[in-house]
Amino acid sequence: MKRIFTRISVLAAFCLLTINVALAQNITVKGKVIDGGDKTPLPGVSILIKGTQSGTQTDVNGNYSISAPANATLVFNFVGYTAAEQAVNNQTTINVSLASSTQQLEQVVVVGYGTQRKIDVTGSVGNVKGEDISKQPSVNPVSALQGKVAGVSITNVGTPGASPKITIRGTGTIYGNTGVLYVVDGVWYDDINFLNPADIANISILKDASSQSIYGIRAANGVVLVTTNKGKRGDAVINYNGTVGFQKVTNQVEMANASEYATAVNEAYSLLNPPVAPLFANTNLGEGTNWYDVILRDALVTNHQLSVSGGTEKSTYNLSLGYLDQDGIVKNNNYKRYTARLSNDFQIFDPLKVGYNVTATSSKSKDAPSGIFRALYAASPVVPVFNADGSYGDPNAFNLGNGSNMNPQATLDFFNQNTTKYKVTGNVYAELKFLKNFTFKTSFGGDFGQEEVRGYVGVYKASNTQQNTNSKLDIDRVENRNWIIENTLTYDKKWADHSLTVLLGQTAQRNKLYAINADALNVPYTSEGDLYLALGNAASRSIVDRGELSTFASYFARVNYGYKNKYLINASVRRDGASQFFGSNNLWGNFPSIGAGWVISNEDFMKDQKIFSNLKLRGSWGKVGNAGVPFNPSTETVDQTPSLVAIFGGIPYTGASVRMLVPPTLFWERSAGTDIGLEMGFLNNRLTVEADYYNRKTEQAIFDIPIFKNLGTVNGRLIANQADIRNRGFEFLATWADKTTGGFNYSISGNVGINNNKVMNVTSGDNPIYSGGAGLTSGYLSTRTVNNRPIGEFFGYQVIGVFQTDAEAAAWPGFKKGDFKYADINNDGVIDLKDRVVLGNPNPKFTYGLNTNFAYKNFDLTLDIQGVADVDVFNANLSNRFGNENYTKDFFDHRWTGPGTSNTYASANLAGGLNNAPSSFYVEKGDYIRLRNIQLGYSLPTAIVNKWKMQRLRVFLNAQNAVNIFGYKGFSPEVGGVPTSAGIDTNVYPLFATYNFGVNVTF
Amino acid sequence: MKKNINIQSCLVATALSAMLFAASCKKDFLNVPPQGQQPSITFWKTGDDALKGVNAIYANLRSWDNVAFNAIAIESTGSDEADKGSTPTDATFFNLFDQFTVTSTQGSLEGFWNGQYQNINLCNQVLDKIPNISMDESLKNRYLAEAKFVRAYSYFRLVRAYGNVVLRLHLPRDNSEYNLPQSDKATVYAQIEKDLTEAAAVLPQSYPATDLGRATKGAALGMKAKVAMYQKKWADVLALTNQVMTLGYDLFPDYEKGFREANENSVESLFEVQASLIQGNAAASNSQYSQVQGVAGVMGWGFNTPSAELEAAYETGDPRKDATILFRGETTPQGDLVPTSVPNPRYNQKSYVPFNTRISGFNEGAQQNIRVLRFADILLMNAEAANELGNPTQALTSLNRVRKRARGSNPAILPDVTTTDQTALRTAIWKERQVELAMENDRYFDVIRQGRALTVFGPKGWKANKNEVWPIPQTEIDLSGGLLKQNPGY
Repeated sequence: MKRIFTRISVLAAFCLLTINVALAQNITVKGKVIDGGDKTPLPGVSILIKGTQSGTQTDVNGNYSISAPANATLVFNFVGYTAAEQAVNNQTTINVSLASSTQQLEQVVVVGYGTQRKIDVTGSVGNVKGEDISKQPSVNPVSALQGKVAGVSITNVGTPGASPKITIRGTGTIYGNTGVLYVVDGVWYDDINFLNPADIANISILKDASSQSIYGIRAANGVVLVTTNKGKRGDAVINYNGTVGFQKVTNQVEMANASEYATAVNEAYSLLNPPVAPLFANTNLGEGTNWYDVILRDALVTNHQLSVSGGTEKSTYNLSLGYLDQDGIVKNNNYKRYTARLSNDFQIFDPLKVGYNVTATSSKSKDAPSGIFRALYAASPVVPVFNADGSYGDPNAFNLGNGSNMNPQATLDFFNQNTTKYKVTGNVYAELKFLKNFTFKTSFGGDFGQEEVRGYVGVYKASNTQQNTNSKLDIDRVENRNWIIENTLTYDKKWADHSLTVLLGQTAQRNKLYAINADALNVPYTSEGDLYLALGNAASRSIVDRGELSTFASYFARVNYGYKNKYLINASVRRDGASQFFGSNNLWGNFPSIGAGWVISNEDFMKDQKIFSNLKLRGSWGKVGNAGVPFNPSTETVDQTPSLVAIFGGIPYTGASVRMLVPPTLFWERSAGTDIGLEMGFLNNRLTVEADYYNRKTEQAIFDIPIFKNLGTVNGRLIANQADIRNRGFEFLATWADKTTGGFNYSISGNVGINNNKVMNVTSGDNPIYSGGAGLTSGYLSTRTVNNRPIGEFFGYQVIGVFQTDAEAAAWPGFKKGDFKYADINNDGVIDLKDRVVLGNPNPKFTYGLNTNFAYKNFDLTLDIQGVADVDVFNANLSNRFGNENYTKDFFDHRWTGPGTSNTYASANLAGGLNNAPSSFYVEKGDYIRLRNIQLGYSLPTAIVNKWKMQRLRVFLNAQNAVNIFGYKGFSPEVGGVPTSAGIDTNVYPLFATYNFGVNVTF
Repeated sequence: MKKNINIQSCLVATALSAMLFAASCKKDFLNVPPQGQQPSITFWKTGDDALKGVNAIYANLRSWDNVAFNAIAIESTGSDEADKGSTPTDATFFNLFDQFTVTSTQGSLEGFWNGQYQNINLCNQVLDKIPNISMDESLKNRYLAEAKFVRAYSYFRLVRAYGNVVLRLHLPRDNSEYNLPQSDKATVYAQIEKDLTEAAAVLPQSYPATDLGRATKGAALGMKAKVAMYQKKWADVLALTNQVMTLGYDLFPDYEKGFREANENSVESLFEVQASLIQGNAAASNSQYSQVQGVAGVMGWGFNTPSAELEAAYETGDPRKDATILFRGETTPQGDLVPTSVPNPRYNQKSYVPFNTRISGFNEGAQQNIRVLRFADILLMNAEAANELGNPTQALTSLNRVRKRARGSNPAILPDVTTTDQTALRTAIWKERQVELAMENDRYFDVIRQGRALTVFGPKGWKANKNEVWPIPQTEIDLSGGLLKQNPGY
């Protein structure tokens, strides 16, 4: 299907390319185009004869020459300047001075279901231009937003093909879908990793509730609006961007070597109760194996992007192709992505425009074993990669126990898993203008995708613990079929001092997911061609499936009114129905918003002042909803899982019963937010400052709280509306942009977001929700979410020292010398879970970025710095011990080895007693600052490239994450996770830097 | 221009009608049934639903909380027959149970508690819902009896472990019934006996092969005898065990082979938790009973290993020692060599499954049934009750029947016990229970009920008036707002 689609699209594009027909000509017009401000000539300005597709460009000195009908009108267009029109009227010389459009007043921002002049916006909308995204070496468009917008926090994942987590103004939702809503050209998505970053023209981030509320149903965690590139009228423009580079691990954690490891393990054994004889008779084992060196590598990444765009008077087109080939830093790991995108717009009649966008993406990855990074951390350096006889080094031969019984090389060698994804998505639309002020637009969007994970384990034996006796083929396929239809009617009128826009709209959506998982044993392998379930053992074949279906129907309306460009009022209301709530008396939710703005600098009394070139005060309030809750959560359903299959006489029989309690009804989770902002421009808007205060409260958040285990439900939890979550904070953005007469252009922009998160009014009162994953943290729960505290705070023991002698520890049952000494919070003489305290907060308080651009003559330099501050990370890699996992060099060097050696680090017996329980020892500051992106470019002189029939040729070098500064003792303090267990570092993808060489060519 | 307006009107009309159409079908559009999940209001309607509900009860008996770490921690680790196992630094929480330093917030306490209450919920679903189903009445009564048996078994495990527990005999009708107080031990025991009496009255003595493993009359009577023994109701114990001994049960001739897969549900078996390794259904092959106790690194994780004290407890030449303990370096009767490199000197052989049955992607030993109640236990209960009631002859007959089977064809070992002195015979019966039922999660509570835990476990830290029961999980007490009371000493 995808292939056919692409073919048709390509054909269509070629047809359009060939209908370019030149028009007749009369006289030759010449002239010069200059900057209206500094009067310097402007090269590369596009000049078009109005109503045709024919035109030209100014040369390096700003001069042009064009043949045009004597009665024609010329249109002058240049990026960053307001377009100008000039009637020819038989003139042969027309000089034009273009006004810079960097004036904020003229900036246009994309908002929900439309665009607004920046000055008319009454909410808080962050904006990032396509060029700032494509300038970064990020292969995922979301990743490129890091540090760009105040209050938007991005956590990268690292795995090739994976999407980063984006949080806007703090975490407001715990349950269900906690991600933001992406709207790409009017179609809704949960993720945009299918997009080629080079296809993006603009990203708008709706941060406050009033701008979000027009997307009521799904906007509780913020909305990201993506506009993709469209063709422009004129000759075909061909663009090629290519980069080649490599990725290298930075900030690698140094682990203990073989001698150190053996010493530490022996010490741990001597400290057990009762003591155990040393495991290693000889601890002088040298360096041993550095597993990171064995498994990780410097990884290549190449990226090619080609686009063709242009158009005639009646139609425009944009075709783009992308290819990405990224190796992972784990050997064998590779990700390839192919993207094709086509958009066409046709002006069928004067009032009617139709168009479509379609994107086809295919990706294939050779996956890395899950858990490989944890395995590398835990792997013992005494185990050789291979023995002298060529067999795999076997941890069991060293009697190391369960925690470190894997040879990561064997894990990697016998791992065979591919993930392939296909997606075809896009929309078709028609836009009709009638009765002068009305526009009716209808759009139908679809999203059809499939993801398949194919895993195969052959028969092998590397050791007793790493062997496979029966081969297994596993296929997991997930299919999405989503559609959305939207109809909007806009009335737009300006008269005298008034401007009025009224929007009415209706949408319907249906999202369907179907997943099927099948496996079979004893599938042979002589080539990948054998990997069919049909070749497996018949009795062993199994198949299960699952599905999800949700539908939404919505109506909305919005009014924007402005008076004299001074007083602005925006108000909207959205009414949503969601199938999740069907059967409750709360099927429909209403989401109103209101915003007001006062452009003080346009007041008469401000006319004579010289300080402000712009001063605007705005305030807004709105409500948004979150339908991202579990499917039919208030319907009690029958549990028929395989674990309820009964066995009688060795034969399985279906078992089913009810093992849940459901709330009698479930209400919409609503979030109400207030935003107050101040926008200022100084020195002719060379300095702009924007400050916002916001207070957002998620009401009746859908939450699961613990219920009595003696009710015997399957998970001991009950979902219901049972808490409020408040996020409150400030955001600042300051930008300085200027150019000198010497031709030096630069801009420096800094932003910072400050957020405070708090859970309130939990219906279960002060009974906390413990989370933070047993498996990650040696079987302990490491976070607590409780009334009047931030979501998912780290929770555990407070280390107040280390017991130096057994005599000192004697008073505390279960403790001995070298163990952490914990504060006995309730003073009962026993250390148990009642003595836990808050240890830290995984929700960052400060996120900030500094983005700069410099251009001088043919050189350009971009430098972006980004960071977070006042955040904590739980170093679960260190605490997660089941036995003889390796130690970090830092721990080895500082560990307690006898009285007086350390009062902060425990002994090597880290898995003993309560030493590996969550404690303040494992909670570290997660603050970091990094040189996110640095790029140096050089554009070859126009004279030279013109000779080569090019418009532009630029070469550049860039580096991402080249410098990272943090105090955290793990690989990276950038740790994601679901809200109630965020910031727990185990198996986190190591931080890596990417260095690229690239070229941009425009024909 | 005229033409344009016509087109416009057409388009506008089309657009508006599209909107109206969308609005008119909204009601149905939003009515989406759960996908792949049956709403429970459509369940409990037919005999087949009832059967599935009963099946689910049996399936949950092999869940992690019922058979793995948490059951081991609560029912075995405190005893003198088992050590933590695995490598010294692995899963050290077991030491809290081994050394009696456990406190109410320890996770296994909650896990085991939850496992039992999950069983009880599944039983209560059946007991509350099936009576209203119109179906074969005799089958319906059997289903109800099966649920009562498992409910009684689960409450027995709870009352032994925690003392005063919450007695849930119905599903909560609304959230006012979420927070129930504890009942005292006597009330819980009375309910257990009531359930077992009612179950025994209905359950059949045996089932066809396709239902093998369901609760039988013998299982209910035998379980009732055990429950009576824990209350020292010796007359009941004697009567019930005498009754069971007439039901056709016998000792399986070969003690070691009785624990192998081929001899599951043998003539000796009163009740076993049924498990299987089903190719094509790894998720239903979820028993980790054998895996957690399997030879470390070879067939599992190596926890709950037989102790040196247990090894020393066997009489010279007792073949049950070798059948119960899998020694490092030994070759099993099934031909497996236990490598000398494994971390522990001994592993539990009663959960042992031959190494070559391992299939990657499945839990090791997922097929091993768990012997809950064996005829040997019935005989030893019969012996103990007879002895307590002053009938040493019957006591000796039953006791020596167990020893005779263990002796096999070797007359030089395990001579018949002959003493008729009540105290000496009691000691001999207790000793026999220790070795005959070793590593079957019986020893710990058996010693406590015998009233000599301070002598036997005291050296490990066991304290009288405290460690007779474990603490009630702290989270339950917290959620109850203080309605639930902690056990003394915790």
